[in-house]
Amino acid sequence: MSEGAAAFADLTEDDLRGVFEGADYVADEELVTAVYLSLKLGKPLLVEGEPGSGKTELGKVLASGFETDLVRLQCYEGLAAEHALYEWNYTKQMLAVQSGEGNVADSGGTGADSDGDAESGTDDGAGAGAGGESVFSDEYIFERPLLQALTHEGPTPPVLLIDEVDRADEEFEAFLLEVLSDFQASIPEYGTVAADQRPVVVITSNRTRGLSDALKRRCLYCYVEPPEFEAELEIVRRKVPELDAAVAAEVCGIVQELREEAFLKQPGVAETLDWARAVATLRTNGDDSHLTADEIKRSVGTLVKEAEDVQRIDAELLERLETAAQEARGRAES
Amino acid sequence: MPTDTPDFGAARDHVLREVVRFARKLRLAGATVPANAALPAVEALVEVGLSDRARVRGAMHATLVTGPRDSETFDELFPEFWYRLRTGLEATASVDDSEQWGDRGADERDGNTDVDGTLSDPSAADADDAAEIRDGEGGDDPEGELEVRSRRIADTAVPPDEIDGDEDRSSTFSAVGESTTIDEEAANSARLDHGALRDFEGALATLAGRRWSRSRDGAAVDVRGALRESLSTGGVAVKLPARERERSAFSATVLVDVSQSVLDAIDRGFLLSVLDALVADGRSVRVFFFDTDIREVTDVFARQRGDPAAALERSEVTWGGGTQIGASLATLRQRWPHAVDRQTATVVVSDGLDVGELDDLESGMAWLARRSGAVVWLNPLAASPRYEPTCRGMAAALPYVDALFAFGGNDDLRDVARQLDRFGPGGPVGYEHDFRDRAPVDDGSEAGDSGRTEAPRS
Repeated sequence: MSEGAAAFADLTEDDLRGVFEGADYVADEELVTAVYLSLKLGKPLLVEGEPGSGKTELGKVLASGFETDLVRLQCYEGLAAEHALYEWNYTKQMLAVQSGEGNVADSGGTGADSDGDAESGTDDGAGAGAGGESVFSDEYIFERPLLQALTHEGPTPPVLLIDEVDRADEEFEAFLLEVLSDFQASIPEYGTVAADQRPVVVITSNRTRGLSDALKRRCLYCYVEPPEFEAELEIVRRKVPELDAAVAAEVCGIVQELREEAFLKQPGVAETLDWARAVATLRTNGDDSHLTADEIKRSVGTLVKEAEDVQRIDAELLERLETAAQEARGRAES
Repeated sequence: MPTDTPDFGAARDHVLREVVRFARKLRLAGATVPANAALPAVEALVEVGLSDRARVRGAMHATLVTGPRDSETFDELFPEFWYRLRTGLEATASVDDSEQWGDRGADERDGNTDVDGTLSDPSAADADDAAEIRDGEGGDDPEGELEVRSRRIADTAVPPDEIDGDEDRSSTFSAVGESTTIDEEAANSARLDHGALRDFEGALATLAGRRWSRSRDGAAVDVRGALRESLSTGGVAVKLPARERERSAFSATVLVDVSQSVLDAIDRGFLLSVLDALVADGRSVRVFFFDTDIREVTDVFARQRGDPAAALERSEVTWGGGTQIGASLATLRQRWPHAVDRQTATVVVSDGLDVGELDDLESGMAWLARRSGAVVWLNPLAASPRYEPTCRGMAAALPYVDALFAFGGNDDLRDVARQLDRFGPGGPVGYEHDFRDRAPVDDGSEAGDSGRTEAPRS
């Protein structure tokens, strides 16, 4: 078994299916196998797919299912290592030095895998204070998501969700490589921090840009396709139980039909759920009548979110959507 | 020596080899597969096991695929990987049916039950017999059929505008074209190199049973010999003697596609000379001609040595019809069920330009692969450096073939022998590993001494 996978030594795919089932997360077999292998082999899982396809939800489901912490790192353009790994509490450090309670010598690395370099600065570091502890120690550090995941303590490793990594710069992607390869990070003033147990890493990407081969090489891969009608209906039934089952089928049938259109932004599962909730809110007392063109037109803003796409929903398309809804209802009832 | 212990070493080597081969195939097909991907792929297989197709597919997909576009390529190539993986594993656990060897020589038996990790499993032997009986009755194994269907290659995956010239050619031949009798003069242009043929026959002799193969570098350590020699040095093996493959007489069934498309692409005299020599030299060689139907012509070759064309003409054997490989294999299975068995190497000579039912072809090839010691496909079109087995018939048959080679002349025979002798049918062999310097020729004709008489039609 791979290092770091000890916590999941007895895990089976059925256990994993149970976790997904318990969280009402509908996962196909390919995703189950990929997650299972990620846990067993201790390798990060790179999940790609259209926005709203349930990639982020996967990380949350794993954290809740295994009753462990979810450490989420939302990526964005300009994200730097200090925002992802650690920051020094400069104000506290300054006050400590001025009051003589701390000095600016490098830390010996409390709680870290410190190396010789980290310890060497204690005697003759430039600007070393006269007394007290080094201000480069645990007390003065802000742990950001990556460091939180590496230093997590508990019986089960945390789930580290690196969300939308394609939004981050390539430099940050390169920085991630050390963390994902060795599950350790180097802090110059502090030493090397290594994880006692490897976190479960889920990396998501919307494919707005290609990721580096180096990153892909370190990950298992799974692409989340938009679900088929039956799977999507199952998701809606579980997540929006207040919506009548036949109407839920119509909702899914319409979404499937819309995905055939050349829209700028295809509706994902998240949009389907939003629309299903919207329809359930607009209807009262378990109304199970057919979705009308007017009803679709009024609430479709939760489903289609580009102005150009909304304009394309004309009378002809609405008529087709009505037909698709009726067919879907028939399929669900048969 | 019979043993009931599975050869785990051979199975492991087989899995490693197939995973690496699959990764390489994906790369060749344009997929972006990380350089180290085979390692996590094998680790993943350890976790999910090798028996469940869906789990293996999921594991391989997670570790070898890095983008949604590559998924299509993966889905196209996975059936072949799965078939090769399972077939090899079954072979490593196959019977040591020495009791069933009939008139095979003792030297050959020794050669197959020595240090090569061959297995002996009486229950498996019984199962094989049972399968044979069912086949003889025209019955079938339901599980086998299910597996066959799951192996189907997506033959429609290649867009029409990307289909190679072979596909275009197939439309020029009728599925039920009329056969004609063999013209003695037209077929007598043979210039067979008997040295090349002997090499080829030697390679055939090593095929049946797929029991052992050399490592990728061609090495085959003689463990028993090493132990013997170590006795004189206090148990220390000073050197590792290499084991030479023992050659002996061979048994083979040769299925020759004599449709017009093949006859136009190959030197007919060369083809007949090869068949004539194989029948004469082999211990048990049966030759069948097929186009839209199949007929055995072994007796015709055996009756008049040295002039097969005249014999075929006198016997009014016909050729030059259309091509329906699946239907022909179905007839073979029904009328001559014992023509192939696990001690027989099956050699198919065909261009794969089949216009029959693909389901029939797949079913027939699956049966052939299950029953044969090895299936070697000789394709006259594969002599072209630009050849790709994308025509529907060849693509459908390929997963069930141990190796696909070019077949046009003496050089091709030598190369088949070289590759099989070095790596065996389970190794990296086939037309894609034929690195002879053959300049592509626009009209499809072949450099070297391949005796092709006519360029493929387009």
